Parts: sequence; structure tokens; C-alpha cells
Amino acid sequence: MMLLQAQKITKRFGGLMALKEVDLQIERGEIIGLIGPNGAGKTTLFNVISGFYFPSSGNILFEGRDITSLRAYQTCRLGIARTFQIVKPFGNMTVLQNVMVGNFCRMRSTREVKKEAFEILDLAGLSGKENELAKSLTLPDRKRLELAKALATKPKFLLLDEVNAGLNPTEISQVLNILRKVRDEWGVTLLVIEHLMTVIMNLSERIVVLSYGEKIAEGTPEEVSTNQKVIEAYLGEEDEE
Amino acid sequence: MISDLTQRIFHLKYLKFYLISTLFGLLALLPLLIRGPFYSHILIMIFLHAAAAASWNLIGGYAGQLSLGHAAFYGIGAYTSTLLFVQWGISPWLGMLVGGGVAAVVAGLFSFPCFKLRGPFFTLATIAFGEVVRILAIYFRGLTRGAIGITIPFRPGIENLMFHGKMAYCYFALVTMMTVFFVSFLIERSRFGYYLVALRGDEDAAQALGVNTTMCKLMAMMLSAFFTAICGTFAAQYVLFIEPISEFSIDRSILFALISIIGGIGTAAGPIIGSFILTPLQEFLRAWLGGQYQGLHIFIYGCILIAVVMLLPEGVIVWVRTFVKRITYYVNIS
Repeated sequence: MMLLQAQKITKRFGGLMALKEVDLQIERGEIIGLIGPNGAGKTTLFNVISGFYFPSSGNILFEGRDITSLRAYQTCRLGIARTFQIVKPFGNMTVLQNVMVGNFCRMRSTREVKKEAFEILDLAGLSGKENELAKSLTLPDRKRLELAKALATKPKFLLLDEVNAGLNPTEISQVLNILRKVRDEWGVTLLVIEHLMTVIMNLSERIVVLSYGEKIAEGTPEEVSTNQKVIEAYLGEEDEE
Repeated sequence: MISDLTQRIFHLKYLKFYLISTLFGLLALLPLLIRGPFYSHILIMIFLHAAAAASWNLIGGYAGQLSLGHAAFYGIGAYTSTLLFVQWGISPWLGMLVGGGVAAVVAGLFSFPCFKLRGPFFTLATIAFGEVVRILAIYFRGLTRGAIGITIPFRPGIENLMFHGKMAYCYFALVTMMTVFFVSFLIERSRFGYYLVALRGDEDAAQALGVNTTMCKLMAMMLSAFFTAICGTFAAQYVLFIEPISEFSIDRSILFALISIIGGIGTAAGPIIGSFILTPLQEFLRAWLGGQYQGLHIFIYGCILIAVVMLLPEGVIVWVRTFVKRITYYVNIS
């Protein structure tokens, strides 16, 4: 059974078609890249899958179950976690408390949650900063915290919206190591939005390309990078003379 | 050996607990030490306002939903128990719980649709709600006796929650304050508390982590309304007279919010600290200046509020915290 099946997802905002009949099929344990020019509908697709928006038409199955009309907190409890492109830390909480909010998704006891949260912080490379207020963190640490919070909910399926934006090459490779580790050890399936082509080509096993709300290509990194439509979408059409 | 034992007793973990129990012990002695009805009255008002502000703090502080309509719940508490007592002779003890229940249900019905409004828009809706309840209470003369108000017949006795003198009221107010304090204290350390603080920070991010934000806000609002109504019942039993304009006045809603904000919003001890500053200030200024220069006490009160908010935007609790930290530091090095 497919982990996630999105069938003919359409999302309209008034007269604007943000997504046009997008189909998406994701197997358990895959790492999939989602790319496309600005405004292609990548984040909208995330919002629809994670339950922040309802699609105008089409439906979404997660582990065979229809989740089209579920809200964000419900999809999270089923095992879909997401990060936000513009990170959203809980500013007045400490780093540890931020992560604990995610851990509470799976358990109730404050003591156990605290213990697990420390493990997540260790994994995300935030050890030693647990008592800092989230609003006082630097950008790379905020990105790490955003990832840690999502991981704390113990997801089966993780949607990552540009977790590498604004990081330097060393920091990026740290994040990629975490992502591979999460996939290999926890069996988490990843759907990754990324603008850095080297990262996405390196990380993903399959790439889906969106342009103006439509899926224009899908395949391995090599296939996609030589696809004529993709090149046109990014560089514009060649002039016919 | 001995130093090992003292170290264990004075461990950081317990120090806060010791401080809090000592403080509450001292508070319990306070009514015995104070002489004269004026000072006892001030002490009762401090405890009562602290309890009401701490109730407000559950939704306004932890969950960050700034309500300026809490006088409605206070008034509902006062009116429910009073009407039950005056009309049917039902004990205010029971009336208090019924009033709390009614307030919680009203709070739920009102706030469920209003939680879609965020920030200042929610606050505007709560102001409107408070005004509507006040006007309804004046309008339905058959039930509430309108603007004339209701005088509660004085029949002292524990079963009627009425007492000779002020001592018993003092302790009752203290117990109410401590109850709300401990409820806040427990919530703060539970999953529910973490969820409230998280959704105050960012509702979308909280939802993404599996928090049903609407449900959490609803629960906090209903709990808050319940305890506010209990404070209303107590105040009615103490003053023995209620009328809509003062029970439901927006000044009261603002006072509850202000006490929490000055003391430290979203903390268990904040409203208590705030009440110990604002309530006596208000009462003393009124007593000293109210008769001689009309309105001067309000002017000075306002100036002091502005000064506190400018100097300590996060509340007086910040001072208290640094003080506690200094103590733990000295305990640790000695």
C-alpha cells in the first residue's frame, strides 16, 4: 500500500489556480524532492496535505485512509509532520519546551516527554541550548529547532519546507545527515521542498516538479534535470527564430 | 554528613516549594495580625482580586487570549447564587457551583465562534459580550430586579456563607486564591499548560504539532469563567448587595487583566503579586485623596501604572525571580 496518495488535487484562491489536478504517489521510506519556480504551488501542496487548507477538489489518502477533510492537528496525530518555510518557534518558551510540545503529541507524562525531548535535541544538534529562549536563537539554530519540533511528533511522513535556506555548506551537510539518519533508522518518509539544486539532486531518490500549479515532470534526478519542460520552466522557452 | 543532608534539603528543586509554602504560611497568619476593619477589608479585596485575576490569567495569560469581558462571568456568578438564595433559599455554597457552571457554559457558547478572531479582534468581541450581558441584566427586570439591584438578607452562618466580622471572609478569600493558584500551578506543568503557552506563541505552529488549539482555548476559557464566577459569588456574599452596573462593569474586567499584566502575565504567582500592589494602592489612594481632590487618586494610580509598565514590561515577577535566583545562589555557595 502506498503511504500517501494524492488524487487530482486542485486548490483555488478566488480566481487563482494554485494547484491544478496534481497527482502524487509516495511509497514508504522514499525521499522525494519537490521543486519548481517561485509561486509554483509547492507550499500550497504542503498546506493541503498537512490539513492547513482543504483542497477545492480531489482527495488525499494516507495509509489507505481518506484524510482530505482532516485538520492539521489531526493529520499530525496520524503521523504527518511539517516544518514551515518561515520558521515558527514558540518565542517565549525555551528550546526544550518547544520540542516538548511536539513530544506531547504521543505521550502525556511531563517527565517522559522531557527525557525524549533531550534525545531529539541531541539528534538535531541543539544540545547545550535547551534552556535558551527560542526567540534568542540564531537563524541556523531556529532552522534546527523547526526540524526538531517536527521530529518530536514521531512522524511517519515528514514534509520539509526549505529547511536548508540560509545555511552554510557545513550546516547543510549536518541537516542532510540528520535527514538520512531519520529515514534509515526511523523509517520516516520525506517530502522535501528545496531551492538548492545540489542539495535536492544529492538527497532525493525521486523528484516531482511543479510549475504554475501543475505537475510537469516526475522521475529520478537525472531524468528531471534533462527534461525539456523542466528546463523551460526554470529558464524560459527558447525563442523560435 | 551534615553538609550532605543540608545540601539535599536545600536542593534547588525544593527551594521554590519551600519559598511558596513559607509565603502561604505567612499569608495565612496575616488576617490574625491585622487590626481594624479597613485593613481587613483591604486584605480581603487583595485575595479576592488575586483569585479573579488568576482565573483571568488562565485564558488571558497562558493562552494569550486577552479577554476584557470577564466581569460578565463575575456578575453571572454573583447573580446566580444570589437569585437562588433570595428566591428559593438555596445555599450559596451550591449556588456558587451552579453559578460557576452557568458561567462556564455561557463562556463556551460565546467564545467558541469568537476564537476564529485573533488578537485585538477577539478582545473587541469580549468587550461587546461584557456590555451585552450588562445591558441584559438591566433589561430583564423581572429576573434581576434591574438597576435597583438585590439586597441579600443577612442570615449569618456557615451554611449561608455569611459571617459576623471579617476574619472568616478573609480566610475564605485566601482559600479561593490558593485554589486558583494551585490549579494554575498544576496546569503550567501539564501537557495542557504547554499547549496553551505554545498556541499563544503561534497557533499554526501549535496545530502542526498536533494541538487542537480551538479545544484548548475553549477549555481554558471555561475553566477561567468557572473560577471568575466563584469570585463573583464570594463578593456578593461579602458585600450583600449586587446591582448590574458595578457587577458587570468593564472597569472590573480591566482590573482583572491589569493585575495579571502588572504582576506577570502567564505565570501562576503573577496575579497574586499584582494584586498585592494594585489593590492596596487603589484603596489607599482613594481613602487618602478621594475626599479632598476629586479624581486625583485616579490620576496618580494611572501614573504609577504607566511607570510600572514602562520599567517592567514583563511584570513585577521579573524582580521576584531575580531575587529568588540570588537566594538560591547564596544557598549554593554557603
